[in-house]
Parts: sequence; C-alpha cells; structure tokens
Amino acid sequence: MNSKKRNRSDMFWGYLMVAPTILGLLILNIYPFIETFIRSLSKTKAFGKYEFQGLMNYQEMFTSEEFWKATWNSIWFCVLTVPVGIFLALLLAVLLNAKIAGRGIFRTIYFLPMVVAPAAVAMVWKWMFNAEFGIINSIFGTEIRWLTDPKIVLITCAVVSIWSSVGYDAILLLSGIQNISPYYYEAASLDGAGKVKQFFCITVPMVSPTLFVVIIMRLMASLRVYDLIYMMVDQANPALTDAQSLMYLFYRESFIAGNKGYGSAIVIWTVFLIAIVTALQFIGQKKWVNYEV
Amino acid sequence: MKKQVKRILSAVALGGMLLTAAGCGSSNGSADGVVNLTFQIWDVGQKPGMQAMCDAYTEKNPNVKIQVQVAGWNEYWTKLEAAAIGNKLPDIFWMHTNEILKYADNGMLEDVSDLIETDKFSEISLQNAQGSDGKLYGVPKDKDVICLVYNADLFDQAGVAYPDDSWTWDDLISASQQIYDATGKYGYMAYADEQLGYWNFVYQNGGYILNEDKTKAGFDQPATQQAMEFYIGLQDYDWCPDQAYFGEQAPGTAFLSGQGAMYFEGTWNLLPMLQNNPELNGKLQVAALPAAPDPVSGDGRATISNGLCYAMSANNKNEEIVKDVLKFFGSEEAQRIQGESGAAIPAYEGLEETWASAFEGYDIDVSGVAAMFDYSVQSVNNASRPEWKSKVSDQLLKIYSDQVSLEQGLANMQSIIDEASAG
Repeated sequence: MNSKKRNRSDMFWGYLMVAPTILGLLILNIYPFIETFIRSLSKTKAFGKYEFQGLMNYQEMFTSEEFWKATWNSIWFCVLTVPVGIFLALLLAVLLNAKIAGRGIFRTIYFLPMVVAPAAVAMVWKWMFNAEFGIINSIFGTEIRWLTDPKIVLITCAVVSIWSSVGYDAILLLSGIQNISPYYYEAASLDGAGKVKQFFCITVPMVSPTLFVVIIMRLMASLRVYDLIYMMVDQANPALTDAQSLMYLFYRESFIAGNKGYGSAIVIWTVFLIAIVTALQFIGQKKWVNYEV
Repeated sequence: MKKQVKRILSAVALGGMLLTAAGCGSSNGSADGVVNLTFQIWDVGQKPGMQAMCDAYTEKNPNVKIQVQVAGWNEYWTKLEAAAIGNKLPDIFWMHTNEILKYADNGMLEDVSDLIETDKFSEISLQNAQGSDGKLYGVPKDKDVICLVYNADLFDQAGVAYPDDSWTWDDLISASQQIYDATGKYGYMAYADEQLGYWNFVYQNGGYILNEDKTKAGFDQPATQQAMEFYIGLQDYDWCPDQAYFGEQAPGTAFLSGQGAMYFEGTWNLLPMLQNNPELNGKLQVAALPAAPDPVSGDGRATISNGLCYAMSANNKNEEIVKDVLKFFGSEEAQRIQGESGAAIPAYEGLEETWASAFEGYDIDVSGVAAMFDYSVQSVNNASRPEWKSKVSDQLLKIYSDQVSLEQGLANMQSIIDEASAG
C-alpha cells in the first residue's frame, strides 16, 4: 500500500520534471504536425482560412508531373550525395586520425564549412560555377553549364552539398574511430594485414554504429534539401524543374502560389518518404551494424 | 507540504516562462497624447523620400509620429500576410497590384475612396488601387512604365544611331545585329520576364494577357501568339544570350558590366542604377519601347504601367488619424516631396517633372518618359494572379529550354490562367 503510494508520487514528480519538454513538443511539434495533416485535407483560402475537402490535394499531387519530378529529384539527390559523401567522410576520418603533423589544423579546416552560413556557401559556389565568368570553367578551359544544364545541375548541387557536410560527418565518425581499441590494429598487423584490409575488417565494422547514425542523418537531410538548391538555382533558371526538390516545390506552392493546403500534402508525402527510408534502414542495420565491442 | 507547493509553483512558472513566445504588439498611443504610427515599405532606396513625407506631416501635426520600417520585397509579403492573419497590420503600408485584390476582396483594407481628388490621378493609377468591387483601397502613390535602356558607348562604337520614337521591332533586330558584328557584345537582351518582357510585346501587337473582364487569358489569340513567338524567338539570334545565361546573371548585371547594349527596365530602377554605378553616367540612356511593325490591331505602341498605393487596414483604432495621414500622402504637397526625392514618379498628375529633376546631376535625358504614359497599359492582374504567376513562368521557361513546344506551352498557360481565374 505504502509502496504503491510512493510509486505514484514518484511518477508525479517524474511527469512534472519532463512536463516543460513534453509541453514544448506538443505545442511546437505535435500540434503543428496534426495541423499540417488537417491542412493537407483542406482547400486553402486567403489569410489562414481553410475548408475541408478530403483527399483532393493528394489526388492533384499524385497526378501532377511536376510533383513526381520533384520526388525523383529528391531521391536522385540522395543517391548522388549520400554514398559518396559518407565514403569520403569515412576516409577523411581515418586520415585525420593518423598521427600527422598539424592534425588539429586539418580537423579545423575540414570542419569549417559547417560553421559557415549555408547561404554564403551557396553564393560563393554559385559564382565559381558560373558558366560565363566562373573560375571552374576558366581553370579547366571548359564551357560546361554547371547550373543551367538540366542534366548537370543536380550533380553540381550535390558536389556543394558533399563539400559542406563531409567535414561534420568526418568529425562524428572520428569520434567513433577513436573509441576503437588500438590492440585490434596491433594484432592485425602482427598477423600481416595491410592498411586497406585493416580499414575494411576493423575500422568499418567497429565504427558501424556511428556510421549508421551518420547515414540516417545524412539521408534525412538530403531528402529535405531546400536552402542549397534555392540559393544555387534561381527562379529564372530554365533548369529549375530539373533541380527542384520536394521542399523547394513545397516552398513555391505554399509561399509563392499561396496554396498552403497543397504544400502541406507535399510535406506529409515527404515525411512518409523519410519514414519508409528510415524503417528500411533499421531493418537493414541488423545485417551490418555491429554493437559488440 | 508547503515546500512541495512552492516547488510545484516554481516549476509551473518556469514552464510558463519557457513557453511564452515574445509578443509583438503594435505600439500606438501613449500617455502624453502622442500617437505613434508604423509605416511599412519594401524599398530601402525610397526610405528617405518616405521619411521626408512623414516628417512634413509631423511638422503640421506634432502629436503624430510616423516610423518608416523596411522589409525586403520577398519577406514583405510573408510578413504582411502573417500580420493580416494575426490582425496586427502596420498602420500604413505599401500595396502592390499583384496583391491588392487578394487583400481588398478579403476585407483586409479600408475603403479610402473619399480621401483623394480622383480627377488628379490617371485612370490607370486609380485602377491599380481598386478592389474587385471598384472601390479604392489605396491612395495612389506612384506610377511607372517600362522603357528601353541602352548603352550609348556601344552604339557609338558600332556607329549605330541611338534608339528613338520611330523604332520598331525590326530596328531593334538590325541595331542588335550591327552592334554584335562590330563589338562582339550582345544587342537587345530578351529574357523570361512578364512585366519587363513579353507583356509589352503582346500589347504592342494588339494582343492581350487577360481579357477585359479578367476571366480568361489571351494566349489563344493570334496577336498574342505572334508576339510570343517573336519575343521567345529572339534568343535564337547570336546577339541575344539564351535563357540559360540569364539563369545565372540578370540582364541588368550583364548591362552594367558592358556585356549587352540594350534591355527593358522599369523607371523605378533608373535612379538607383545611376546612384549605385557612377561609371554608368553618360553611358546609360533611355528611349521609348520599339513599336510593333504591323500590329494585328492598334498603332503598335504599348508599355506596361504599374503603380503602388498606400493602404491601411480595415480595423485600426486610430482610424481617423491614419486616414488623415493618407489624405496628406495623396495630396499634391506630399506627392511633390516624393517626386523630388527621386523615389518614384508621383501618381498625382502633372508632377512628372519633379521626378525628372532628381536626374539633374546625371548626364541622362528622362524627359521622354512622361510621354510614354499616353499609350501605357495597366499591369496585368486579377484576383487569382498569385496562384497562376509562378506556374505560367514555369511554362515560359519550359518553352525557352525546348521542353515543350511553343504551341503546347502557350496552350498550357491559357489553361493554367483560365482554371485559376474560374476560382
């Protein structure tokens, strides 16, 4: 009897302690999510008024060519950025872990893009990729239309995205690598394993939990890409529809065309897409992520 | 027990503090009888002119202080809409033809019909400030037209005569060709823009974008189609950069770096261009738009004219005072202050020369601009414009990049506008 009472009082204090966070979540995350869902089922009228209309927005969305193009662009952007980006980050992490002179300076340099405002990054790269006056075309003597050729524009954006995220991912992976006991490497080199073999047989499996987290984060970020493409690809760019990601489409529908209901439907679709990809990864991780140290 | 209560209270208080978002109340009215009004605009270049007008009002009415606030064009509308939803609109704000119908038709704006002498404003200026019901929801502020801006240096180098009123589309092409041949620089830079681009050509050729009652688009009209074909076709000439080029730098940028000799510019940008780029002084000149050589109807002349207005919200607790301020803003005195600051051409008839006087320090002749208002056409607009604007521009880009044919693209534009306008 007494213990039960005590238990209840503990629970009360527990809830009270988490209340600010829970309330914050409810008001700032859960409620807007529900609101977004309701909006996606409504027709938007001017000045925040809306009217329930069922699945019309979804019907319009799924029959829109533009929408499927944007979905494909988002997925293609992930394919372009995630594998290459993660591989480079891992490689970089291993190199930054090596005992070389000026290691701290290199770590700082690679981390720097993370500290710079994304808009500034995009502005500078945009100038470098400029087809007429850009430094990249003038160094290589090419005439590639990096930002206006429909086939190339997303690759260009992917390069910039990888450049700005690789340092951050590498630092995360580095922290994972530093937790690996040096004895493994010692034993492996005594058995005659080379550096490459050590990388694939010791580093990769041992860092896999961190790698898993980094991959999930990077995939989500790539599926939601907006600011970079918005800055790099102008509204007057003829390659716009070939670079437009789901979030870019969402922005244009909700805030330029003022159709917030349709925009909400795009957001719900994106959440759904991210949920599927993440669920697949959690299923797949059993095959390759190693939690035993 | 007491302790516990105290702890609970402090926890609740803390939670409350964390959740209370910073309020953003408007601050009108204070103890000493002074009324503080807010005045929201989007162009930082016009701030001094607007401030001068407000100061002139405060001088006469010392108990009214007006604070001019600037938000950039892009966030302006996001901000204004949020303020409208929250019933916290600024006391006075600029209104644009793109948006006025949306605000007026939804009851956000106060009817200001009886504040101005309507005979002092042109028909277009008044139309630009009207709601769908024909009442005035803004006090006309300024008016503008699109003009042909050219680089006199490049014309001299190529030995081509400067553009004048007699120019037609054919002259535009031949001059461009000659400049390109002689200097290697681009001639007329035609790019994907409505107000600064194809609209002008369409109306010159006797076509239209929206019909009289603004319910249907005109992309199925031969005159419109002909003009669109001509305008988009310009990018196939060697002397015109293609749309991919403009995807990376605006024509204005290309013009001031001396890459191109001509482009269309709004009168509102002329003074800032000269102020920000002193090296253009003497090179940058303006002329009337070239006319259609053989229009389907009309005399081949047209230029798109737009104008802003000053608006106030439908429910303002200082309604009478704000109305008095707006009345002043629409008076000859305030419009003159605006013109002399060079901010924009006053909407008030007969004050065009006050704006021209702001160019006195520069080697440019803008005296021809006033005459362009005689054949100007009101900027295209209807209530569903925000809905179709970006979709139509997407179609235009697709035509430019050969993703759809001209016929198909124009047909798409037609149905986009027709469907949106049907509600």
